[in-house]
Amino acid sequence: MNQHLSGEQISKCLIGDGTPQETNHITQCAVCSAEIASLGTSLSQFRGTVRQWSDYADYGAGFPQLSAARSLYRGNETTAGISSVLIHVTAVALLLFVGTFKPVQKAVNVFIPLFAPDLERNQAKPKPEQSKGGGGSFQKLAEKKGELAKVAPRQFTPPIRTVDDPKLSVTPTILAPELPNISAQNYGDPLGRIGIPSTGNGIGVGIGPGKGPGVGPGNGGGFGGSAYKIGGGVSAPVPVYRPEPEYSEEARKAKWQGAVMLSLVVDENGVPQEIKVIRSLGMGLDQKAIEAVQKWRFRPGLKDGKAVPVFANIEVNFRLL
Amino acid sequence: MKRGLLNPTAPVVEELDTAGLDDFDSLVRQHRPRIFRFLIASLRDRDAAENLTQDCFVRAYKARDQFRGRSSLSTWLMHIAANLVRDHETNSRLKFWKRRLRSDLDLTEISDWIPDRQKSPEALALAKEQVDTIWRVAASLSERQRTVFLLRFVEDMDLLEIAAVTGLKEGTVKAHLFRGVQAVRLGLERRR
Repeated sequence: MNQHLSGEQISKCLIGDGTPQETNHITQCAVCSAEIASLGTSLSQFRGTVRQWSDYADYGAGFPQLSAARSLYRGNETTAGISSVLIHVTAVALLLFVGTFKPVQKAVNVFIPLFAPDLERNQAKPKPEQSKGGGGSFQKLAEKKGELAKVAPRQFTPPIRTVDDPKLSVTPTILAPELPNISAQNYGDPLGRIGIPSTGNGIGVGIGPGKGPGVGPGNGGGFGGSAYKIGGGVSAPVPVYRPEPEYSEEARKAKWQGAVMLSLVVDENGVPQEIKVIRSLGMGLDQKAIEAVQKWRFRPGLKDGKAVPVFANIEVNFRLL
Repeated sequence: MKRGLLNPTAPVVEELDTAGLDDFDSLVRQHRPRIFRFLIASLRDRDAAENLTQDCFVRAYKARDQFRGRSSLSTWLMHIAANLVRDHETNSRLKFWKRRLRSDLDLTEISDWIPDRQKSPEALALAKEQVDTIWRVAASLSERQRTVFLLRFVEDMDLLEIAAVTGLKEGTVKAHLFRGVQAVRLGLERRR
């Protein structure tokens, strides 16, 4: 009883081939049960790794590869192969033969000018911009009524008065669409309330309670709230790496299936941020879905050829095979 | 060892067995990831695994009239895949070209795919080392031992299912599995 199990006995117990005495010993001996548990953990890590790796390698998944199987040829494949070769050889020989005729050679030499069609006329006009954005500059007060800084494609100086007498002055700008403006002594929100001059209590270099170089309560450039929405010149992000979610032990036992709906922002680097559950499934699957989507990587959404943060909704399906 | 406890996927698949072969598209969609995983883990060559996955379903499609439903559909497909792996390994005529054209992912990096990335650096390093060792030991096993080992520890199959897939007797499966586990255990011990 005091004798610990040998390595071979431990291997046998792990594959479920141990004698009753050996199995009994394991339930009582802490050293041997720890040994088995550690071996089991290593093997389960191996399982998880191989599964993850194969998901990554399986870029063919999702394509209905075998849908053509229904039309599989039922006849003799050798005959089919030979006749295919014969038909091709005949076709090529016929083409070469036709090419020896004078009229054909003449016709080939005739110059036919080609014109590129004018595609511009038929191109769809871009929809008005739907992007959102926000500003702020860590100030104590909310943004007050004032003149909106100049709208520019790139921001060099934010509309915050930090240097009183600059040697080289650059007009402060924000990143936003053309907005209604007023003329005032200070920078602020033209639609804001009158008060002590302030560009808002947000984080960043714009105007308003948000984050970033725009105007309003959101993140990033533009006007309004948060990341860009798809459409109106903003392309959708495309997932490039998407590992499958793992099943939670609880849900596996209950054979629980369904879909979790997640909302997230895909940032400029294609990394998902601010993942929230919109439609929950329970049994720990929400958490597993979030864990999986955190590992997803996207080709980010583009606006004017530049990567921008974009809102996206993702449905994660859980199915037991 | 209870069936179903270790392999939670089996009962659901069995329910689908009757409808499975009529709707071949959804059958492929359902079983493809598993077959591909087994093949790529056995062959460690993505292109070969893709080809053999395709072959496996073509064979299954051609032989679908011969499927009597004695085993579950997933076991039957896995049986075809295991046979393909054996044929692939024994086909020495193409070995030279296989080596030349091998398009494998860098296999030394398998440990980069450890699922839980929220581990501490030390735990992660340890896990990486262990997974690398098991991966290397699995490569050194014979074809039979490796197949049995992967079916048990990656595909979560029980001994009876493995016996059905490989066409071996349960005792033989046990013996192969024992040798595989023993090799892994020794490999891990040597690391320590």
